[in-house]
Amino acid sequence: MMCEREDGGSAEPPFGEPPLGDRPPGEGQPEDGAAFAALLEDSAEDLYEHAPCGYLSTLLDGTIVKINTTLLDWLGHKRGDLVSRRTFSDLLTVGGRLYHETHFAPLLRMQGEISGIALELKAADGSRLPVLVTSTVKTGGDGQPLLIRTTVFDARDRRAYESELLRARTQAEREREELQRLNAVLQQTLLPPALVKVPGLDVAAHYHIASTDKVGGDFYDLFPLTGGTWGLFLGDVCGKGAAAAAVTSLARYTLRAAAVYDPDPAAVLSNLNTVLNHEYNGEDPRFCTVVFGLVTPAERGGFDITLASGGHPPALLMSADGTARYLPTPGGQLIGVLPDAHIVTTTLHLGAGDTMLLHTDGLTEARAASDSLRQEDRYGDEALLDFARGLAPTTPSGAVAAIRDLLDSFGTGVDDDTAVLAIGVPRPSEEHL
Amino acid sequence: MTHLAIRTRTTVAGPVLELTGELDHASCSQVRDLLPGLVLHRGQQLVIDLAGVTFCDSSGITALIAARNHTLAAEADIALAAVPHHIRRIFSMVGLDQVFAAHPTARAAEAAWTPPAPRP
Repeated sequence: MMCEREDGGSAEPPFGEPPLGDRPPGEGQPEDGAAFAALLEDSAEDLYEHAPCGYLSTLLDGTIVKINTTLLDWLGHKRGDLVSRRTFSDLLTVGGRLYHETHFAPLLRMQGEISGIALELKAADGSRLPVLVTSTVKTGGDGQPLLIRTTVFDARDRRAYESELLRARTQAEREREELQRLNAVLQQTLLPPALVKVPGLDVAAHYHIASTDKVGGDFYDLFPLTGGTWGLFLGDVCGKGAAAAAVTSLARYTLRAAAVYDPDPAAVLSNLNTVLNHEYNGEDPRFCTVVFGLVTPAERGGFDITLASGGHPPALLMSADGTARYLPTPGGQLIGVLPDAHIVTTTLHLGAGDTMLLHTDGLTEARAASDSLRQEDRYGDEALLDFARGLAPTTPSGAVAAIRDLLDSFGTGVDDDTAVLAIGVPRPSEEHL
Repeated sequence: MTHLAIRTRTTVAGPVLELTGELDHASCSQVRDLLPGLVLHRGQQLVIDLAGVTFCDSSGITALIAARNHTLAAEADIALAAVPHHIRRIFSMVGLDQVFAAHPTARAAEAAWTPPAPRP
């Protein structure tokens, strides 16, 4: 509520301060009250001139007819330079002037008021003053517009605050990128840089990262053991992030060391179970599911494989004859939480044209159809077996490429990281290609 | 958004936790945070009623294992009630069906409980 007359003379106190009589009692002695009232009476003009915000009245064509001292001080102009000589638009920067013409003024004409518009004013010394502007149109008794009244708030602090916010956001984005980079590096250290070459065996692997913000807990490796045999493993540590990565790292190195000590697959997993169980128990249990395989060249050609499973999804065998089946290890228990985890082994012969695929449950737990979390909407073991039947006979690289495409087709439906490792014996004709 | 509701009640046999909703990485801490405050006497039985659980992942399993570790530390037992088919499948996959006693209902679990023999 501003003064009624635009010439600076005001009949009533502006801003609707209540008369003193309306104030609650006890705010001072009556004499003080009277003195205070006198101060208020006196201050109407002073309040206008030295208010904590700028005031400006313009004609409908924008010509400044009245401006308060506060705003003059902010801008460094003299009253005589502006009143009747300049328009509000003249005070704006080029961009602000454009905005004023195209948006501010039309909206003000249409609505009769416009509030909280961020603009920049040009000061006499050429510096810029970020402000928030609110304008209302004063109309006469006949409803015809007479004047535009404008309040101007100093937004320098606010602008500084916004810049600070922007800077903090940029900083946070940089740090997030750095974290993602570190996660990717950490993830790499949990996987072999390149799979070793095993004579007479084709190998392919893929690691699908579900989230770049958190390190997943899937792992695999293939490495030589003594006597011409090879060890391989693939597993999944429950959970994500740094804590899971620590378990993954421990599991990987324990598996490799245990295999050197005693390559029997069941013994390897028992050793891992003991290590994890000692390290993590009580209210923060950590476990993993893992398949460990011992791969031995067979005299009749191909490889004999012994697989031990600690609660891990079964391996898939896609045979040369075009069939596919799971290699179940029922009763095998997850590794790390039970003092004596039960580990189940199975054996198979991998002949020419056979491919064995190990996977983690990120694949079968993927949401295949919808955003639903219901178990029945997950991809599932049966669907994967059907998929494998469609692939067989195949090669490790062919199977892994097909699984990659399958994962891509799920898009964001893959909640969890997924690792796949496939080994296969090439057919004689393929071997010489 | 995932959501899990937990209702706790007490029977002579021990506390019963009724879980409804999704038991996953977002909600498993609700179960784990509740464990330290759970009153369990020696020989009692903690029953976790899973009838209303629509989804359970590896984090959910971790929460159940944490509950088991907590009861074992109190020299008490743990039993699951009304385990839905999909959770039973996961449990048999990871071999936990051999570790957790399971009953068709919480009432059956309570009925199967025998009070501990007094200490000599």
